Amino acid sequence: MTFSMKRVHAIFQKDLKDFSRNMAVSSIIFMPLILAAFYSRMGMDSIDAHYTIINMTFGMVATFVQCCLIAEEKEKNTLRGLMLSPATTSEILGGKSLLSFVLTIIIIFFSAFLVEYKPANIGVVAIAIVLSSFFYIGMGTLLGLLTKSVMEASFFVMPVIIVFSFGSFVMGFVDQYPILKVANYLPNIQLIDLATKVEVGAGFGDVLSNLGIIAAWVVVIFALTVVVYRKRMVD
Amino acid sequence: MENIIEVKALAKVFANQTALESVDFCVKKGEIFGFLGPSGSGKTTTIKILTGQLNPTNGEATVFGEPVSNLKKSSFRKRFGVLTDNSGLYGRLSIYDNLKLYCDLYDVPLSKINEVLDGVNLIAEKSKKVSLLSKGMTQRVVLARALLHEPELLFLDEPTSALDPVNTRHIYEGLRALNAKGTTIFLSTHDMHEAETLCDRIAFLDKGKIQLLDTPKKLKRNYSDSTITVELINDEKVVLPAGTEGAEQLFELMKDNQVVTVHSNEPTLGDIFVQVTGRKLA
Repeated sequence: MTFSMKRVHAIFQKDLKDFSRNMAVSSIIFMPLILAAFYSRMGMDSIDAHYTIINMTFGMVATFVQCCLIAEEKEKNTLRGLMLSPATTSEILGGKSLLSFVLTIIIIFFSAFLVEYKPANIGVVAIAIVLSSFFYIGMGTLLGLLTKSVMEASFFVMPVIIVFSFGSFVMGFVDQYPILKVANYLPNIQLIDLATKVEVGAGFGDVLSNLGIIAAWVVVIFALTVVVYRKRMVD
Repeated sequence: MENIIEVKALAKVFANQTALESVDFCVKKGEIFGFLGPSGSGKTTTIKILTGQLNPTNGEATVFGEPVSNLKKSSFRKRFGVLTDNSGLYGRLSIYDNLKLYCDLYDVPLSKINEVLDGVNLIAEKSKKVSLLSKGMTQRVVLARALLHEPELLFLDEPTSALDPVNTRHIYEGLRALNAKGTTIFLSTHDMHEAETLCDRIAFLDKGKIQLLDTPKKLKRNYSDSTITVELINDEKVVLPAGTEGAEQLFELMKDNQVVTVHSNEPTLGDIFVQVTGRKLA
């Protein structure tokens, strides 16, 4: 199986131009930055506050933007054009995910800068953030493939954003509703747990279980995405 | 001549509707093959099956000697091009940017963009945003995109449906030039004039089956009523049978200097279609 970076780059370049002219979707990426600026002024510098912004970036940029990019390709029938081209599944999905990935990392970087978040072990946190962004982009791709239009995608992606961006709030109700313990395994909760451990001196080996759970989510979401994508190749 | 497409007993059933019952035909390498039928006769379904976008319910279809399921492989996709009625262009991008993407996907040099745009008479508009183009111009961009990588086999689904006569002629010239370079063209249309102008062979599709398949010339000859119409100087028109009797009558009229024009009464492809299927192409 071949993998051409030229094709991936071509899809990325096209997406970048198209995205910059699509104000309805591109303006969304500023929301986490606005929240970060707000938190910074309020002096909120707890791990929970930092990761509310980071998880919101995952939801709004990695998932929402990605979902809209894919849904629009479907709605305008351009995805079929890509599918009929020599580009392979991995080249198309890779190219289509690159813009969301780059935007997510840039927004997280600037948000962290605004709230003055400096992880105790930047290497471990960076790995966890990159891994988490794969999950959220995969989620956006999957939802984009399952919906028929940008309008429908925007509607269906909202509950997902709420669960994964603000899921940490449900942990406050675990004592009342023990079933909510399941939420412990959500990637956003795992990321907060990992970041908290890192701040008290944990190294790579101490957070392997957190990384493993996030990686498992990535594997599941990508497997589902590839299956749905291949089904979408045929009417 | 080698067959580039072979279709045997191809059938497609959607839920409770039969789109193709049993379709058999082959397309020879290097020809322009016309696939004619009224709207809803299964032309687009056939193209979708032949390009790997739809799985058949029954039957066999091979393209380049490979089962159509193999067309999903990247290496085969470089060998064919598709133009369908759904534009599939990026509206916020310029014509040039749309074609640039496909140059990169097909490993075609960017210099090819000007060449294909010239061929579809859009070179002056290449910086225009696709969303600002008329339907006819959009159709020409889609065609330009399909021509970029000079495919061995080109599927065209109603390529000139939204075009004016001048642009239609441009497209015909472009397709003939492409065919002269060796591209086999599978042309789905309900435009009889288009089929007659471009195609080496024509298949009539109706009720999920191929009803007729031959060269336009042979079809016309086979369905001709073997008469001629003679227009006389007094504006009268006389229909004469072919053969000795008709020749003698024509000779007499010519001797008397009565004849203005003589026309052979060949049926049009539309007439033949109506005769064979009992319905009109629309």
